[in-house]
Amino acid sequence: MGDPMPVTRIGAGVYRVEHDGRREIVYVAGSPGERWAFWNGHVFRDRGQPTAAEPASRPRAGVVHPLTAPMPATVMKLLVMPGSVVRKGDTVIVLEAMKMELPIRAPADATVAAVHCREGELVQPDTVLIELK
Amino acid sequence: MIRRLLIANRGEIALRIIRACRELEIETVAVYSEADRRAPHVAAADRALAIGPAPAAESYLSIPRLLDAARASGADAVHPGYGFLAENAAFAAACEQATLTFVGPPSRVIATMGSKIDARRAMHAAGVPIVPGDTPDDQTDAGLRRAVERVGLPAIVKPSAGGGGKGMRRVRQADEIADAVQAARREATAAFGNGTLYVERLVERPRHVEVQVFADNHGGVRHLFERECSVQRRHQKIIEESPSPGLTPALRDRMTSAAVHAARAVGYRNAGTLEFLVDGSGDDARFYCLEMNTRLQVEHPVTEQVTGLDLVRAQLLVASGEPLPWSEAVTQRGHAVEARVYAEDPSQGFVPQAGPLLLYREPQRPGLRIDSGVVEGGEVSVYYDPMMAKVIASGETREIAIARLIAGLRDFPVLGIRTNIPFLLRILEHPRFRSGTVDTGFLDGEGAALAGEPEMEMPSFVRAALEFATESRIPTESRTPNPEPRESWDPWTRLQSWRA
Repeated sequence: MGDPMPVTRIGAGVYRVEHDGRREIVYVAGSPGERWAFWNGHVFRDRGQPTAAEPASRPRAGVVHPLTAPMPATVMKLLVMPGSVVRKGDTVIVLEAMKMELPIRAPADATVAAVHCREGELVQPDTVLIELK
Repeated sequence: MIRRLLIANRGEIALRIIRACRELEIETVAVYSEADRRAPHVAAADRALAIGPAPAAESYLSIPRLLDAARASGADAVHPGYGFLAENAAFAAACEQATLTFVGPPSRVIATMGSKIDARRAMHAAGVPIVPGDTPDDQTDAGLRRAVERVGLPAIVKPSAGGGGKGMRRVRQADEIADAVQAARREATAAFGNGTLYVERLVERPRHVEVQVFADNHGGVRHLFERECSVQRRHQKIIEESPSPGLTPALRDRMTSAAVHAARAVGYRNAGTLEFLVDGSGDDARFYCLEMNTRLQVEHPVTEQVTGLDLVRAQLLVASGEPLPWSEAVTQRGHAVEARVYAEDPSQGFVPQAGPLLLYREPQRPGLRIDSGVVEGGEVSVYYDPMMAKVIASGETREIAIARLIAGLRDFPVLGIRTNIPFLLRILEHPRFRSGTVDTGFLDGEGAALAGEPEMEMPSFVRAALEFATESRIPTESRTPNPEPRESWDPWTRLQSWRA
């Protein structure tokens, strides 16, 4: 790990770290599950350790894979229904956030197992919108 | 004089207008949607009225609701800010009918300038150069050849019905005309069911330079110099500055005179901006008027910084019937550069970000001005424009202003959502920007890769601060049975997470 680095809290969310004879000011916020830090114009986001509960990154045959909202948004268009067959890259849902359209695409060839949202609905981040298998 | 002003807007521009009103002792009325109940502009105004649900169409864009709010609050004037209804002629007309002073030009001027065709005609009639273009009546190959020759080379042939770049053909030499016309016609017919073609002069590597104008009700019209806005991504301005590094004094004189002439010709009132494309460099560069923006611009602070004037104050005075408040010659002093801070993630295709501002600390230093509409602990909502703040640096020279802006942005922590600050820093450090030679194609071409550059790996000392902060939280935030903090020597660390 190298030399210990003395850290001093100098204000709400502001820390001074002594490192290589220099003093660096680092800003920190967030909770253990999602921590943010800032130093000298750079932003760092630390999502903690991945847990077993996290979905696999790509769907495998027979395994249900949820597609989630990346940010708070309104469901503008729902382009599939349960049973729809989609190809990798197909747009399945169009979200709208901040006056911009945000297409949600199928990560792989799959079948829509379930739909958990409807058009016009306001969805929060990480809400499961549809499930693919 | 205006007594009570309703601000038909939100965010940083609403706060900017409130500040100017304070100095003029004008009462302010904020309006807000359900999503903005706790927004800073609501807290800052003297009065505040709810006008509807979060979607802008049912609140900030609803003319009946805004007029109702004006009536209910006893306002005698309305400032539209920018965006939303700022360039909506029907809104200006509705205010005029309700005998509310609209802080902007008359509705008929907004209507004329809002129509591309009418605006082009008005500018042409006023003798202001516009991009040469022609939709010839004779649509035969020979007729289009003559149109290309009239417009001049290089030219672009495009569908009259078009959009989205379909069917557009560039013509750089005379022997390319026939092929270009036929290909464009084929594609236009296929894409739009209409083969009518339009011919326009192609401006290669243009710069976007605009001139601020101001007109009062007494025949006074003057310009407040130019702003360089060539750093754009898909027509969205990101960095603006004044003076433009690309204008010679002679070219500046020609452009500002043209702008004043245009404003006078269309009977303009209040603050407005003539946008120009600049083709070439030096005293003889050509320039063409693109359009007139009939409102205060987002980037008005760079003009304020180099002229020392308050444009919103002047807007309010002129709208109240007073003459332009500047009796002496207005000069351009030093240099100012503005960067727009957006809640968006450049590394993910600039997808807008929404969420809580866990930590938000604006830098403070001489020569740095920040116009913002958010606060720490607040939220960036999904409903509105993702611009959070404008950081404006001024200095004696362009180099000093840029260095100050870079230092300011490096000292501007925003945590909880992604912002474009790292992207802004890469643009400001790029040799093309530093040399002042960026054209409007830069960020969509040579500079496009700046968005995708990988972020720095987390340095060990940042990790150390993160770990320290996390451990300090254990006593109150963790459900583990150990109640004793490991580093409990700083009582403030523990106090931070107390809940009253």
